[in-house]
Amino acid sequence: MMKEIKFALYAIKKNIQSSRELRTSFLMNVIGMAINNIAFVFLWVYFVKSVGVIGGWTTYDIIGLNGFTALSYGIIVSIFMGTKKIPEYVTTGSFDRFMLSPKNLILRVATSAFSPSAIGDAIFGIICLSVYGFLIHITIVQIIFVVLLIIFGAIIFFSMSLIINGLSFYFVDASSFTDSVFQLFMTPTLFHGGAFHGVTRFIFTFIIPSLLIAAIPTETVKNLSFHNLIYIGVGSFIWLYIAIRLFKNSVRRYESSNFMTFGN
Amino acid sequence: MNIISVKNLSKEFTFPVKNTKYSWLKNLFYPEIRKVVAVSGISFDVKRGERIAFIGPNGAGKSTTIKMLSGILFPSGGDVDILGLNPSKDRKKLAYRIGTVFGQRSQLLPNLPLTDSLEFYGVMYDMTNEQIKIRIKELVEIFGLESFMDQPVRKLSLGQRMRAEVAVSLIHKPEIIFLDEPTIGLDVVAKKSLRDLLLKINKEENTTIFLTSHDVGDIESLCDRTIIINHGTLIKDLPTEDLTKTFFSEKYIDIIPIHKFKDFPVLTHGIEYLTKEPNKITIRVDINKISVKDSLKELLDIFDIEDIDVYYSDLETVIRNIYERDSTSI
Repeated sequence: MMKEIKFALYAIKKNIQSSRELRTSFLMNVIGMAINNIAFVFLWVYFVKSVGVIGGWTTYDIIGLNGFTALSYGIIVSIFMGTKKIPEYVTTGSFDRFMLSPKNLILRVATSAFSPSAIGDAIFGIICLSVYGFLIHITIVQIIFVVLLIIFGAIIFFSMSLIINGLSFYFVDASSFTDSVFQLFMTPTLFHGGAFHGVTRFIFTFIIPSLLIAAIPTETVKNLSFHNLIYIGVGSFIWLYIAIRLFKNSVRRYESSNFMTFGN
Repeated sequence: MNIISVKNLSKEFTFPVKNTKYSWLKNLFYPEIRKVVAVSGISFDVKRGERIAFIGPNGAGKSTTIKMLSGILFPSGGDVDILGLNPSKDRKKLAYRIGTVFGQRSQLLPNLPLTDSLEFYGVMYDMTNEQIKIRIKELVEIFGLESFMDQPVRKLSLGQRMRAEVAVSLIHKPEIIFLDEPTIGLDVVAKKSLRDLLLKINKEENTTIFLTSHDVGDIESLCDRTIIINHGTLIKDLPTEDLTKTFFSEKYIDIIPIHKFKDFPVLTHGIEYLTKEPNKITIRVDINKISVKDSLKELLDIFDIEDIDVYYSDLETVIRNIYERDSTSI
């Protein structure tokens, strides 16, 4: 296991080195994404100020929500960008090189690519959560909650990315389909929890776990709910288990192809 | 001792096809499914240190077979044993003991210098820093990589890249190296260089070579045994020497004139015109009767030549000849 983790960290380091070789593109991606996110959060803050509090959700909660989503998404997509590239790997046949690796297949695929723009997301997430912490006068216990909830959110992001992109083993050229399904999961993570009640809250918590990324974590920190914390933690590991099982089954359907490809 | 043992290996693929009799909606949701048998019940064994050419025309099932042997694809039927391991079940264990090169697919890190790719794969195979350093030094020497070690891989020429690909696949001293069309797209000099390097590795490290190729030259100069497949079935398994004598006994020479050809004199026994055009002549040489060297001497004496090209018949022709020969010998 230690060998697997050591190599995964080494692969991530090489990915970052590789991206840094194209310095201008790297910086533009990071800065561009951070600016894009800031514009987005301003839009939400002004919306809440105009409309007023919805379902108990204030401007501060919106900033916290954006922080949770951006940081957990940024961590996963920057470090484990490979999961988002599975459809491309499968279509072009470049998935072959992972099958030939003596390492854990999921870890090897996940650490095969890196997204500089997601670093922008992560930086933006840290800024949002810092501002959020300052505004709500965050306590030590709440900081521990935030850290754990970010880890759980990242695990759910990883699992969903693996499940959704793993669908490409069942279809030919599935990238647009998997992108759409991922958006279906991703979009509700950016809407504040006040908008979700009854059936919609049930669906986006248990069937599509979007609310486990940011909305419920924001409520959990606000209300210091240990119950919710444990529930999100258990939920994240259940989703991870499902993702690994499904991926292992899906790989058996891999058919390879002979496109010309390059890559790490 | 056999290190590769294949028994009744098969692979089927299914894919949807458009049926013109169906509406587009029916084609979308209930397409007709077609089944293709890519490999059909092939069996063979390979001993340690052998150099195997696994050849056949396009679509014969060569790449599919090599992908099943290396653990990329799961067979539909049959048994595969590589170094005592089952590639479908022991993929990770097997990966430590084999190397692979796919001519049309790079495993190098495109934006980083070649040295990083070698190091990357060394770490992947759990080699220590010291082992990686020593092995890189050996490979740089064997493959002559020194001059472009610090260049980003994306800036290497195709020939340099292929040498680098083979070097990377050998970083962990594999017992078997599978090569799928390693010389594809290379010029004559680069092809020869790569073949020489593979021979060297086979001699010095006793690495078993299992190679698919479309290039008759690869087979003749590199492999001691040839397995031929067509339409997914094994049609011949014989020493390359026998194959060369029997089926690669002809070479072809294209001649381009300085001025247009007008006369076509009678040629020596063993050389004959295949096409006679004012701008190009194609000659067939039976190398069992006359050497290429003597044929060229004669042709240079007869014609004022601007350009000349000597080549083997393509694999499709060889395979057609095998079928014809087999059917007449029954």
